[in-house]
Amino acid sequence: MADATTELPDLDEYRAQARAWLEANLERRDPNAQVRLRGTEHRTHETIKPEKAIQRKLYDGGYAGITWPKEYGGQGLPASYERVFNEEARGYRTPDLGVAGGTTFGICVPTMLQHASPEYLQNHIPKVLAGEELWVQFFSEPGAGSDLAGVTTKAEKDGDRWILNGSKIWSSGAAYADWGMCLARTNWDVPKHRGLTWFAVKIDQPGVEVLPVREINGDAEFCQEFFDDVELTDDDMIGELNQGWTVANTMLVFERGAGRGEELIPRPTGRRQLAPDLVALAKDGGREKDPYVRQLIAKAHINDFATGQLGARIGDHIRAGSANAAGIASYGKLFSGTFQPVRARIGMEIGQGAALTWDEGDLSGMATSLNYLNGRVMSIAGGTNEVQRNGVGERVLGLPREPSFDTDRPFRDVVRDATNWTGKTTK
Amino acid sequence: MDLNLSDDQQLLRETTAKFIAASCPLTKVRELAETDTGIDPDYLAQTAELGWYALLVPEEHGGGSISGDGLSDAAIVAEERGRTLQPGPFVPMNVVGLALAEAGTAAQQAEVLPAIVAGETVATWAVASEKGSYDAGAALRCATNGGGFTVSGTAGLVQDAHLADWLLVTAGSEQGLTQFLVPASASGVRIEKLDGLDLSRRFSRVHFDDVALTEAELVGEVGGAGALVERQLDVAVTLSVAESVGAMDENFTVALEYAKVRTAFGRPIGSFQAVKHQLADASMMLEASKGMATSAVRSVSTQAEDASEVASMVKSFVGDAAIDLTQTCWQVFGGIGYTWEHDHHLFLRRLTADASLYGQPSWHRERICTIHGL
Repeated sequence: MADATTELPDLDEYRAQARAWLEANLERRDPNAQVRLRGTEHRTHETIKPEKAIQRKLYDGGYAGITWPKEYGGQGLPASYERVFNEEARGYRTPDLGVAGGTTFGICVPTMLQHASPEYLQNHIPKVLAGEELWVQFFSEPGAGSDLAGVTTKAEKDGDRWILNGSKIWSSGAAYADWGMCLARTNWDVPKHRGLTWFAVKIDQPGVEVLPVREINGDAEFCQEFFDDVELTDDDMIGELNQGWTVANTMLVFERGAGRGEELIPRPTGRRQLAPDLVALAKDGGREKDPYVRQLIAKAHINDFATGQLGARIGDHIRAGSANAAGIASYGKLFSGTFQPVRARIGMEIGQGAALTWDEGDLSGMATSLNYLNGRVMSIAGGTNEVQRNGVGERVLGLPREPSFDTDRPFRDVVRDATNWTGKTTK
Repeated sequence: MDLNLSDDQQLLRETTAKFIAASCPLTKVRELAETDTGIDPDYLAQTAELGWYALLVPEEHGGGSISGDGLSDAAIVAEERGRTLQPGPFVPMNVVGLALAEAGTAAQQAEVLPAIVAGETVATWAVASEKGSYDAGAALRCATNGGGFTVSGTAGLVQDAHLADWLLVTAGSEQGLTQFLVPASASGVRIEKLDGLDLSRRFSRVHFDDVALTEAELVGEVGGAGALVERQLDVAVTLSVAESVGAMDENFTVALEYAKVRTAFGRPIGSFQAVKHQLADASMMLEASKGMATSAVRSVSTQAEDASEVASMVKSFVGDAAIDLTQTCWQVFGGIGYTWEHDHHLFLRRLTADASLYGQPSWHRERICTIHGL
């Protein structure tokens, strides 16, 4: 989003300046720093402060929001400048804002930039870039996961105010975030997709309670929120009243990674290791010559390779402009959702006792079981395998939808009748 | 199909499809299944004119490719062949052509190779054991005998041996793997044409009863064929997988269409999630198989250091996926898929045979472990 009236800086000059600035302002990255395993993250408002301070340095130095619009505090430069800066910054301690950082910069703000009013964007985006606002999604609910348009958190108009009540769940990183982007029902007398509106909810305001959800792996990356008469105004609205489903569709595109582009996935070539985690487990148990174990190791290895090949083919489709490229892209998630649980079980089978017990505090010893406990993340999170299969069946293969009992009726009636649903239409 | 075909390759694909539609559509494949030979007498010459047996052979021996990447071109032909379950020894002819071009004697290269390229002679590959193992050298043994050699044993799954003039023989010996090009009419060679599951291709059991050979029949060094045999297998795997992917694509396309027009309980059966989800999974595995087939072409064609590993990963994956897919199609067709008149069983038969030819999925998984030194 470059401003056409100003001259773009020379790319090499930009690189040299960035290099000098990084050298003067940021610390070098510790090459021995641990890579985070799922199941070992515990961030708080306290521990995120120094990371936000680094983000502030980037902002003050003119290296935050390199491609974002100038009027909202960004630099308004083409993506090539961001790429150059990232290349130069690779060896430095850049802000690690955790999962909430990914949600803020990868999902929430890109969605807002497409749908929110200029006043809203001027109010919030510079603060995001300055490290003052971390955003998370208040999207799924205990009763609405794959059926996202079925949310029942409600915002009711009361004079100038909106009053928010309900509960959200699976919001990653809400424990240390500042704002939530919340989907609420604002009209119950129209079909489900037409009565939804997005609001910005400040997490530390009265009536908002955030509780960690302790997951089966012992981690608490996700949170559940409870809203008890939370006061909002029209200024907190993101997009138009009752047009929330349009905004949600934009958000889902970013969430599923299509905005980041599978075209970047290279076709994997060259030497690769044979499923190193499984081979280590097999050798540890003295089972590497067991023909069945060898079959399992090779199966996992082949599926890992196929995941990459499918990704590369999806990239080919996107580049070739194939019809349905977006639908085809969902094969990637369905494939992972299908084969990750298989792989997790293979680890348990090969590991035997070593996968069941380990020395106290031995992180590598628990890796197999942790992987097993995370085995169904891809088959559930962000739309279950079943929902993906419907999407593939209907959008890619052109098969007819199942008859629907909730899309053409006032949502109020849908909710009333759902529990006693018998399969007979009750119009 | 690789989504990055050149214009010339796109033309090759269209020409191939057009030829098959005109001269050997599925109705013809069915007719041929009832014949003794399983193939039209002029099919080889006609397909040779399209370059089917020239693609892996250098120009000095009468060969040549379309794009400069002969295996990539051959895979395009193979996929179109698979789509219409084409008969004939496309894979073995190309393997023998490659072997002779790489390691054949001057006489073999001058006389046999151009005839293969021209479709004037039939050559096939005897490598699997009688029971279908592809452990190299397990089927046939070679012993030195004075100044010559004696080959003995029984090979299985030898495609179109009943038509063959020449057999490329892969035999184990004390010195290591050794290959010969043997006339099918040689004394001691006995070819038994077999009935089989796959109606579109013919396979034989070939006995070698102390067949006496000389250095003139050698292809490469005595005991020195190991690397070439691996390459032949990788090439056969790549082309066989491409044929499978073509057959999978067609089998699936017809089943999908059926799910849209066949109604039950007042609606198309493809609207039921129980059917739709099976088709969605099958289409995902088809898409992944296409990606895998492309990766095999690229690694094997460039003789990348991981060529054999990739070939085995792809063969194992596509072999399993193909059987899953054709079984899903069968379930979608329901009763009609159980009739002789419906084409489904032709695809079921072909794909199931493909999964075992040139190594079953489990055989390739073990090969991967061995390649990695496990």
